[in-house]
Amino acid sequence: MNTSILLQQLANGLVNGMGYVLIAVGLTLVFGVLRIVNFAHGEFYMLGAFAAYFSISLLGVPYYVAVLVATVVVAGVGVLANQVLFKPLRREHEFTILMVSLGLSLMLANGGELVFGADPKYIASPFADMSVEIGPVFLTWQRIIVVLASIVLIGLVYLFIRKTRMGKMMQATAQNRDGAALSGVNIDWVHTYTFALACGLAAAAGALMGPTTVIFPTIGEWAVLKGFIVVIMGGLGSIGGAVAGGLILGVAEAVGANYISIAFKDALGYGIVVAVLLWRPAGLFSPRV
Amino acid sequence: MKKFEFPRAAMLGTGALLLIPFAANGAYFEHLLVMWMLYALMAISLNIIVGYLGELSFGHAAFFGLGAYASAMMTVYAGFPFWMGLLASAVVAALFGLAIGYVSLRIKGPQFAILTLGFGAILQSVFNNWVDVTNGPLGITKIPAPKIPFLDVTIAGGIPYYYLVLFFLLVATYMCRALMRSRTGRAFEALRENDMLASSLGINVFRYKLIGFVAATMFVGVAGSLYAHYIKIITPSLFTLQYMAPMIIMVIIGGKGTVTGPVVGAFVYIVLLELLRASGSMRMLVFAFLLTLSVIFLPGGLVSLLPYWRNQRGAGKRDD
Repeated sequence: MNTSILLQQLANGLVNGMGYVLIAVGLTLVFGVLRIVNFAHGEFYMLGAFAAYFSISLLGVPYYVAVLVATVVVAGVGVLANQVLFKPLRREHEFTILMVSLGLSLMLANGGELVFGADPKYIASPFADMSVEIGPVFLTWQRIIVVLASIVLIGLVYLFIRKTRMGKMMQATAQNRDGAALSGVNIDWVHTYTFALACGLAAAAGALMGPTTVIFPTIGEWAVLKGFIVVIMGGLGSIGGAVAGGLILGVAEAVGANYISIAFKDALGYGIVVAVLLWRPAGLFSPRV
Repeated sequence: MKKFEFPRAAMLGTGALLLIPFAANGAYFEHLLVMWMLYALMAISLNIIVGYLGELSFGHAAFFGLGAYASAMMTVYAGFPFWMGLLASAVVAALFGLAIGYVSLRIKGPQFAILTLGFGAILQSVFNNWVDVTNGPLGITKIPAPKIPFLDVTIAGGIPYYYLVLFFLLVATYMCRALMRSRTGRAFEALRENDMLASSLGINVFRYKLIGFVAATMFVGVAGSLYAHYIKIITPSLFTLQYMAPMIIMVIIGGKGTVTGPVVGAFVYIVLLELLRASGSMRMLVFAFLLTLSVIFLPGGLVSLLPYWRNQRGAGKRDD
C-alpha cells in the first residue's frame, strides 16, 4: 500500500467531507428544530453555487464577495420559501411537509434548468488554480479554503446556537415546541432564523465547493442525497453527528474509490448508511428526544 | 351503502376501460393508452406503501427496474418465453422486496424513505456497473414481445398490449380492494393511523408492513416486466428518480389510499405529459407545482372531489 496515495486520498476525503458537513448541518438543523425533512435543501446548495457564478460573471465582484452574496441571497430565498410553504403548513402531518419539500425541490431544480440553462458552468475562483504541496499531499487553495471556511462557519453556527438568545430559543423549540411557545418563544422567528441559517449554510457550501468541480442545475439532487446520508448516519437533528458523519462519508468515499472501485463510490455511502441504520436505527449520535 | 354502490362503479369503470380502445384511432393514442395502463399499475403498487402503510418508499423504482431486468434477462439471455420472464420478475422483485423490506421496515418515516432510496441507489449502481451481466448503461435491447402459448400469436403494440396490461391492472386493483377489506387491510389502516396503538392492540406492525411492502414490490416488478416487453429496451435509468418522481406524483395527485386514485393520477400524468411535450423542461416544473398544490389544497387527491361532485349533482336533482 502506497502511503502517499493513501494520505492524498485522506486529504481529498476530508475536503469533500467538510463540504458534506456544511450541507448536512443545515439539513439537521431544520429537522432538529422544526421537525421538517427538507428535500429541497440540496436546491439551496445549487442556488448558492449559481448565485456565486452569476455574481462573478454578471457583477464582476471578487470570489470571496460572491460567496458572501450567495450566502445572503439564498438565505433570503430560504426565508421566503419558509414564509410561503413551510410556516403555513407547520401544523400539518410530517408526510405533507415532506411531500411539499419534494415539490419545492422539483420546482427549484427544473426552474433552475429553465433559467440557468442545463449546460455545466464553472465558477471562476482565483484559488482553484493555485496549489500547495504539504509533504506528499497536493491540494489546491480552493480546497484548503473549503476546509477553513467550513470550520469557521460551523464554529459560528455552534456559538450562535449556544450563546445567543435566538440560539437558545431554537434549542428550546427543538426540545419541546409547545412548551417553548408557552414560555414566550416566538416560533415564527425561530422558523425564520432556522431557515435563514440552514439555507445560508447550504448556499455557502455550494459557493465554496462549486469551483472544485462544475455546476449544473441538478446538482441539488446530489447534494441533498449526500446530506441525507450524512445526517441519517450521524443521527437526524444532531450537529455533532452531522460533522462526524460528513467526515466519515468523505473519507470513506475517497479511500473506497481508490482501493475498491470508483464506479461504486456513490453506492458506498449508501452501503455505510444501511449498515449504520441496521446497527443503530437512530444514527451514530442520535440526540435524545 | 358502500357495499351496494361500489360494484356498480367498478363494473362501469371496468366497462369503460374495456371499451376505451374502440375510441382510440391511430398508433399514437394506442401507445398513450398502454403507457397509461403501465403507469397506473406502477402507481397502484406504490399506493400500497404510500396510501395503505403510510410510508414513503423512494426505492420503488428499483423494484420496477429489477422486474424489467429479470424478465428481459430470462427471455433475451436464457431464451425462456415471456410468461416465464413475467413470473421471474414477480418472484425476483418480491424476494428483493422481502430482503430490503425486512431490513428497512425496522425504521419509519423520513429514515425509511432515505434508506429505501439508498437501497435503490445501490441496485442502480450495481446494474449500471456490472457490465458483464447487465450490459451496463447500454441496457438490454431486442426484448421479445409476449406470445400466447400454444397459439403462436404475438401480443405486439397498441390495442392487444393495452388489454394485456389492463388484465394485470384489474387483477391488481381487485387484489388491492380485497386486501383492504380483509383483516390484513384493517390492520394496515390501524397501523397507518397510529402504529403504537395498533401494536398495543396486538397487531404485529412489522409483519403487516412487510406483507404490504412485498405485495407492492411484486406488483411493480410485474409492471417492470410488462414495460420491458412493450418498450423492448431497458437501461439502468429505470431504477432512478426519473421513474420514481412520476409514481409519487400520480399517487398524490390521483388520491393516495384509494383504489381508483392511482389510475386517475396516471391518466392525468400521461395527458399532461403529452400536452406539455412541446414545453421541454417546463414540464417537470408544472408537475412539481401541481404536486405541491395537491398536497396542500387537495390532500385526498382528485378522487376526493368525486363524492363532493356527486353530492352536488344529487342536490341538483332533488331541486328538479
